[in-house]
Amino acid sequence: MREAVRKLLRERGRAPQALHDSDKLGATLGLKSLDLAQLVFDLELTLCANPFSGLVPITSVRTIGDLAHAFELARADAGTGEAGEGGVAAELAVAQAAERRRAQRRGLT
Amino acid sequence: MSDAPIAVVSGGSRGLGLDVVRAFLTSGYRVATFSRASSVELAQLEASHPDQLVWRSIDARDSAALAAFVTEVGRSWGGVDILVNNAGVAADGMLTLMASAEIDSTVATNLNSAVHLTQACAKWMIRAGRGAIVNVSSVNGVRGHSGVAVYSATKAAMDGVTRALARELGPRGIRVNSVAPGYFESDMVKSLDAAALQRIIRRTPLGRLARVSDITNVIQYLVSDAAAFLTGQIIVVDGGITC
Repeated sequence: MREAVRKLLRERGRAPQALHDSDKLGATLGLKSLDLAQLVFDLELTLCANPFSGLVPITSVRTIGDLAHAFELARADAGTGEAGEGGVAAELAVAQAAERRRAQRRGLT
Repeated sequence: MSDAPIAVVSGGSRGLGLDVVRAFLTSGYRVATFSRASSVELAQLEASHPDQLVWRSIDARDSAALAAFVTEVGRSWGGVDILVNNAGVAADGMLTLMASAEIDSTVATNLNSAVHLTQACAKWMIRAGRGAIVNVSSVNGVRGHSGVAVYSATKAAMDGVTRALARELGPRGIRVNSVAPGYFESDMVKSLDAAALQRIIRRTPLGRLARVSDITNVIQYLVSDAAAFLTGQIIVVDGGITC
């Protein structure tokens, strides 16, 4: 989750920093609504879950921790989740590595 | 081919949708389209453009199927650059005499499906930081005509979507416009009798119904770089009947 946020911040030209679950996506990290939309979609693609299609209201998400929790709920709801941040983080790392390999094969990187 | 723009066109099996699919293919785009059933013409295009055209059988009212379709396109081709919301049904008759089911079905097909499809495609466009969306509206969304209240409501609503999304997505370089055709040679005017058609032609300054290509040309322009500074607009293509 933090890696996905860090990647987006890098795309926005901001130096990656130490991130914490309590960091507020808007107030602390300066993410705009379109940034949040992109972040959620990146996570939706890599984790194959979308908590905001009905399970969780997006307005309830303020922090990185809130976002991680929302995706945990969605994955649990879909029967694919593992308990704890480690499960999502490991899954995200695997999915992102696979995406990087696909992009390299397409000659995109 | 891998750099070719990727276009999603709803309702591409016949009429305007088919013409847009054909034009995009000629321009070298990769095109993904869907409809409930295919057609001879679309099947021929699939055969002649196997790597450039994808068609799936989908009922536009099935939002889950729409989302899955866009995910398939985005994952296999790497994104979605262009969306043409073309799928729609005509519905005419006095509002007080229409069946509730027909009202609901018309709104579901003409409005709800377009909103869901736009949601799915806009995610890819936001990610890429570019994109063009064209909503096929109607002069019925701009002017009042008797007997098409529900149809008009859906088209006027799409124009509202166009203006709102132009503001919402503009900061990411995504343009959103509507094309509002007048009466053109399509299945949708088949229900009009000869006298009604002649009346329309008589009131049209350019003296004829629109050809499908008249509409397609404007859509092609709107998704092109030639329209790079054009967003949030309703382009009426009606030979001047509403001027």
